[in-house]
Amino acid sequence: MALVKRTVAMTLLLLACLTVPRAAVAQPAQGGSPKQTNEYVPISQLPPQDQLPAAPLLIAAYSFVLIVFFLYVVSLARRLSSVQRDVDRLGATLKPGSKP
Amino acid sequence: MPKWFTPVAFICAAMFAFSPLVIANADYESTMGLVQKIFYYHMPSAWMFLVAAMVCGVASIRYLVSGDLRHDRTALAAGELLVVFGLLTLVTGPLWARKAWGTFWIWDARTTSSLVSWMIGCAYLILRRYGGPGSEKLAAALALFGMANVPFIYISVNYWRTIHPATSVVPKLPFTMGLPLWYCVISFSLLFYLLLKMRVRLEEQRATLDSLYLSLDEQH
Amino acid sequence: MIRVAWLILRKDLTVEVRSREIVYTTLFFAVSCVLVFAFALVREGRGPEDGAAGILWIAVMFAGNLALGRTFERERQSETLRALLLAPASRPAVYVGKLLGILVLLFGAELLLIPLVALLFQARLLVHPFWLIAIMATGTVGFAAVGTLFAAMLVRARSRDVLLPVLLYPITVPVIIAGVRGTATLLQPELDAGIIRFWLALLVTFDVVFVTLALWTFEVVMTD
Repeated sequence: MALVKRTVAMTLLLLACLTVPRAAVAQPAQGGSPKQTNEYVPISQLPPQDQLPAAPLLIAAYSFVLIVFFLYVVSLARRLSSVQRDVDRLGATLKPGSKP
Repeated sequence: MPKWFTPVAFICAAMFAFSPLVIANADYESTMGLVQKIFYYHMPSAWMFLVAAMVCGVASIRYLVSGDLRHDRTALAAGELLVVFGLLTLVTGPLWARKAWGTFWIWDARTTSSLVSWMIGCAYLILRRYGGPGSEKLAAALALFGMANVPFIYISVNYWRTIHPATSVVPKLPFTMGLPLWYCVISFSLLFYLLLKMRVRLEEQRATLDSLYLSLDEQH
Repeated sequence: MIRVAWLILRKDLTVEVRSREIVYTTLFFAVSCVLVFAFALVREGRGPEDGAAGILWIAVMFAGNLALGRTFERERQSETLRALLLAPASRPAVYVGKLLGILVLLFGAELLLIPLVALLFQARLLVHPFWLIAIMATGTVGFAAVGTLFAAMLVRARSRDVLLPVLLYPITVPVIIAGVRGTATLLQPELDAGIIRFWLALLVTFDVVFVTLALWTFEVVMTD
């Protein structure tokens, strides 16, 4: 039961997470070409049409992370509860008929 | 599951829920702009990927040496988490790279080494799932070889290509960027630990189930 | 231990000489592999630049994968592996014996493949024979060392045929990188000995580390 409650709670919080980034990223996407620094490979001479808005990439990255976590937690919870049910069921079957 | 599990899980979920706010308040990085904020999830994912690899490798060695199945369960749990966090790293990285470097994928030392290590992790899981009975020891040997391979993979790929930023930027981060980073690292570490515990518990319950089936057979 | 390894090697070679099954199939497969690459990559009569090194190593690795699978399949069918493990021979010796058998087979395949690739892809592979032999030898040892261990471990596993490449290729990535880059350096008009020495050093280190690991792991894994 605690497991189910935990899963539901995590689901709700994660859904909240998916909406908060949209509010936080209210700033306009960086449209200008990135200045070159000697730490990173320069994307020099990029034609203007190649300069991507960053917001979709950012949102995609964060959403992907949260979705993967969510799916993994759900898969883990389901496997765990199914095995737990089998253990309980078998434990109950064995107890009455158990011989010393 | 231990008593502290549920409250800590709530704390972890809350930390994740608030992380976008913490990240949004960090300084704007001037050269790469908004897309640099992927860093706050990409970097902790990469660290957890490495931690998972180390846990898996060490647990595998302990299992090979002692034969204790608890180490084998830890190794399996860490192996799964290795694949999960590796997947996150390998997806968030290219999404960041598309804007920062102009291309999704670059065959440089760190990215290629991560990809190869991730594939070894996937091979580990495939072996455990489809190898049939007795594949625990084989998988442990694979994990051991994978771990021993890390320096070789890195050196060979490094001499093959290098574009990734050479030195680590983390020590030089200003405080406003350091704070969100460490906040995310703590969140990810907490999540990693919780998931590991949960996954090990699953394996323990499966082992209990197997022994229960065995005693059921013995009775009939 | 060397005596035991030698005995195992002789046994394998004797069995093989009688039927020659693995030798013929492996060699033929390696040659077909090279032909497939030729049809895929050769345009207007010329192969891709520096493609020869990569093609050579890929052919060796694919053929090696097949050979490993077949060798241990034969052991499994005759239950000889269990007999070998029950015999009062040290496990590392059994491993070394099998490894030497695979190496003999792969070196034979390479003897055939190198002139073939040089011919089909107009690659001047044989200009520096000693460096070439060194790179091919160390690389093949690295690949075979890991491969023999995994193939032996997988003998009793399910899905063993597909699991061997799944496990083997990611682990032998350094071998293929070093082997191909080392061989490609040999194809350059001027020989850069420094680079070749670096790749050679990497391969030798890989061999030492992984043969040692394999010797230890073989003992542990085959005991149950």
